[in-house]
Amino acid sequence: MSRPMSRPMNSGDREVSTIRVSGLRVRHRRTVALDAVDLDLGVGVHGLLGPNGAGKTSLIRMLATVARPDAGRVEILGEDVGEPARRGAVRARLGYLPQEFGHYPGFTVREFVAYVAWLKEMPVAGTAAAVERAVERVGLGDRIDAKLRTLSGGMVRRVGIAQAVVNDPDVLLLDEPTAGLDPEQRVELRALLRELGSTSTVIVSTHLVEDVAAACTEVTLLDEGRVAYRGTPESLGALGEAPGVGDSVIERGYTAALRAHRTGLEATR
Amino acid sequence: MSTGRTKNDHWHVSDDLAARYADGTLPEADAWSLESHVERCGGCAARVSGAVRRLPVPALALAEVREAVLNETRAREAVPQDVPAPVPPAPRARLWSSFLARALWAAGPAVRGGWLPAVVLVALGALGLAYGADVDGVRPLLLALAPVVPVAGVAVSYGRYADPLHEIAAATPSGGLRLALTRTAAVLGVSVPLLTVTGLLLPASGAPGAAAWLLPGLALTLASLALSGYVGCRTATAVTGGGWLAAVLAPVLASPGGTPVTRLAEQLSRCLDGAPAQGAWAAAAVLCAAVLAARRAAYDGLDRQ
Repeated sequence: MSRPMSRPMNSGDREVSTIRVSGLRVRHRRTVALDAVDLDLGVGVHGLLGPNGAGKTSLIRMLATVARPDAGRVEILGEDVGEPARRGAVRARLGYLPQEFGHYPGFTVREFVAYVAWLKEMPVAGTAAAVERAVERVGLGDRIDAKLRTLSGGMVRRVGIAQAVVNDPDVLLLDEPTAGLDPEQRVELRALLRELGSTSTVIVSTHLVEDVAAACTEVTLLDEGRVAYRGTPESLGALGEAPGVGDSVIERGYTAALRAHRTGLEATR
Repeated sequence: MSTGRTKNDHWHVSDDLAARYADGTLPEADAWSLESHVERCGGCAARVSGAVRRLPVPALALAEVREAVLNETRAREAVPQDVPAPVPPAPRARLWSSFLARALWAAGPAVRGGWLPAVVLVALGALGLAYGADVDGVRPLLLALAPVVPVAGVAVSYGRYADPLHEIAAATPSGGLRLALTRTAAVLGVSVPLLTVTGLLLPASGAPGAAAWLLPGLALTLASLALSGYVGCRTATAVTGGGWLAAVLAPVLASPGGTPVTRLAEQLSRCLDGAPAQGAWAAAAVLCAAVLAARRAAYDGLDRQ
């Protein structure tokens, strides 16, 4: 598997890579979730696209250091996270929103975000202000003292984003952050992602191709545990100029890239 | 979120509504709109906070937080924005209880969820049986149960299955051993004084002293943590808690002669009484602590897939 598209886009990327993944392989019982994944990611907003079961969540969990790969190496901010001694320093600079995240319904928004700040070992002095800023950023400033159990699903999702960004992370991992948000909130979230992506490495997995078009600087398309395509939203859109399946240019690009990857695989078999 | 704002301002919180909000029986949606109204209406904030203050003692812990929110709103309304709000001197007792509530709050699900009432129930049940129903041999029963209580507390407060926050916590630097130990400390902090004092209040009935369970309780708790580095928290606590109960209760059920109570008391004496037994428990606790320290990286959250 050495398709040119799965290579880093240019040699300049290497110097600014905050995340380097090489030979990553993850198995869930008998199915292979990720297979020989090589990725170099730098500052910016990276969209992670792919069908259900393509390995998006598996990849994000590996990057979040919550799961162990079966083979391969994950390097974040220059540290090999396979080494326990290095992991703590990396984790303090991570932000992670899991696809399904639990919370304590009796906590207020403020308490919940502050609790995660404590887990991230943020200095106590700055925590209160950082919590308020994070909650403000996701547009929940007026509900900061509301209990989580009183919030709607979309609001809880935004609280999840607030806890992820409370430490101004260098690497922000968001698994389906737009799920459950209404269109207006999605627009606001994309603006926030663009803002965060100017200084940190933001990785967003999503089902919604239009999120990628609107917020991402780069796109990685996964299919059956392999990298099927890497490029920019524009280059993916360019693939969709030809007639194909999909309502928008970028959707057609998505299906075209998937099809090209699959026929390429069959040809090598 | 702000759509109902102008509409909401045409009503005010009645005493009945405030009382139902305070005791938590108000439906969620109504509580929600009440809270958003109260954020802007000083009169209603005062009414609701009055209702909260009239609550009976058990509900007060929850009420603390609401009270704080309401006070903040009133203070914000009363003074211009950029002048620091003159905070009324809080009575020392309330300050303390609020600090305590917060510490427990942060310590983990065990001390908030079903475990705490269960521990209180064990303590009150023991006292009730001994003095209310005149049952003999309650202290041996309590001593047999007590070491399992903190183990159960650990089981419900940490790990992938017990802690809803586990996935987020696992990606943080403190999500491993530090979090497990913090929560274990909270669990011990509640169960040790409560069960020891209860034991002291019970008639001896031939059982070992009320403090005899402390070292075994600590050893079993540390053993659960040490073991959970290998097999996960759920299995580990089941093994240690179940193992203790089996060791104490199985001989009682199997051996003939005497009443079950005296047999239990004898079995407990074998396990707990005397310097050799207590020394062995202390050694076990130290050993488990050493295993924990040596294997701290195993608690680092890297799940096996």
